[in-house]
Amino acid sequence: MAQPPLWRRLYDTAERAVSPRLESVVRTEHFARGAALAGRAQAITRTQVAALSARVWHLVNLPTGADIARLRAQIGALDREVRRLALHVEQQQAQHDARTDEKETDGADAQSP
Amino acid sequence: MPMLNPHSVLERVRRDVERNALRARNGIGLATGARPSVGGTPKDVAWRSGRTELWHYRNDDARFAPPLLIVFSLISRSYILDLSPGNSFVERLLKAGFDVWLLDWGVPDERDAQNRLEDYVDEYLPAGIARVLELTGRDQVNLLGYCFGGDLALLHAAHHPHSPLRSITVMATPVDFRHMGPLADVFGVGGLDVADVLDADGNVPPQVVLLGFRTLKPTSEVTRYVDLWERLWDDEYVAAYQAMTAWSDNHVPFPGAAAEEVVQMLVRDNGLVTDRLTVGDDRVHLADVRCPFLTVLANRDHIVPEPAAAPLIELVGAPDKHELRLDAGHIGLVVGKTAARTTIPTIIDFMQQRSEVST
Repeated sequence: MAQPPLWRRLYDTAERAVSPRLESVVRTEHFARGAALAGRAQAITRTQVAALSARVWHLVNLPTGADIARLRAQIGALDREVRRLALHVEQQQAQHDARTDEKETDGADAQSP
Repeated sequence: MPMLNPHSVLERVRRDVERNALRARNGIGLATGARPSVGGTPKDVAWRSGRTELWHYRNDDARFAPPLLIVFSLISRSYILDLSPGNSFVERLLKAGFDVWLLDWGVPDERDAQNRLEDYVDEYLPAGIARVLELTGRDQVNLLGYCFGGDLALLHAAHHPHSPLRSITVMATPVDFRHMGPLADVFGVGGLDVADVLDADGNVPPQVVLLGFRTLKPTSEVTRYVDLWERLWDDEYVAAYQAMTAWSDNHVPFPGAAAEEVVQMLVRDNGLVTDRLTVGDDRVHLADVRCPFLTVLANRDHIVPEPAAAPLIELVGAPDKHELRLDAGHIGLVVGKTAARTTIPTIIDFMQQRSEVST
């Protein structure tokens, strides 16, 4: 079997040396806490920027991204309820049909000699 | 110094020139965004509700009953199970004579942000099963869950012990979330709230999931380009690379409310292992999963590492339960040589033994 080219062998050697170390770093508790902290900081920044821009938009009586998001969430919740109700109706209908079929079968059996 | 053979030097030069020409051609193809078609096995949509669809794969040679219903994960696209002709898990199941159905959750948007696990476990899954039974005239299904789809299948079976299931097969299904790596640790050990990563539509954006997966193997992104450069001349490799990267880079949003539940119940409480599971308002127990059961896990899986999937066999209460450990990666269970040689034949064998030849 042909040997891989020199550049590939060099890369593989470097990768074999670096990869396990990096993988063990990202599996430490410190990394998890650091990443969580960064995530939280990002969320706080996002919220504050949104609040600031909301104040500006509200001054001119215009809806903000957060207002739209709230509306979308309400529509989403409503949509979920409708979907769940539709599924329950479908299920009830199927059970009703099954019961009707059973009764018809029983009736036919009783009438048969 | 070894003597240089002029023939071999000429041969190497010729090969390098040829390969560089092919590299240039394939490189242009990649840069212009030409994509191989995926998920091409003929199918029909048998039922839909919201973004969820039940697909029925066409098969004129379905010889086994009951039908087989595949439950897919909530964070990725289901076409990985039907990647390309000749490299398709679904295609192999069809050829083996199964009547194959798949519950695809679609791409969640703001209307799905409030979806909880119970929506999938208690509503969509039973509705999908009912539709399969109605359309086939059968009274049971074989259920097959891949990755987190396996968790959904297990929660359903545990919460509905009388669900008409002939058997359950799960592949690369995590139960011990302490071993799920950085993505779970950030929420578990790190204490990050799901609310902090939600998008404007109320769902966990796919980029968060992708970042979590990439962190598992920090050098994989570079290695993937190095591999590509080395094999860019190989048409077959490039086609497989395109199909795989298109899938692995293209996750779907995770419904926000379901993500909150997963983090609290499965990550922080490690509920599947500690038996602290609630679906809807009910306590459920994996010990209540009593139908014939097969779990398939891969010992080189870096997404669901072996220790995260291994405890499952002891947790389910089925008397007829089996475990298959394979030398494969997460995707290798359903795509590629290991899948073709071992995973798929074993699953087919397990289900054929729990099926009958249909009349």
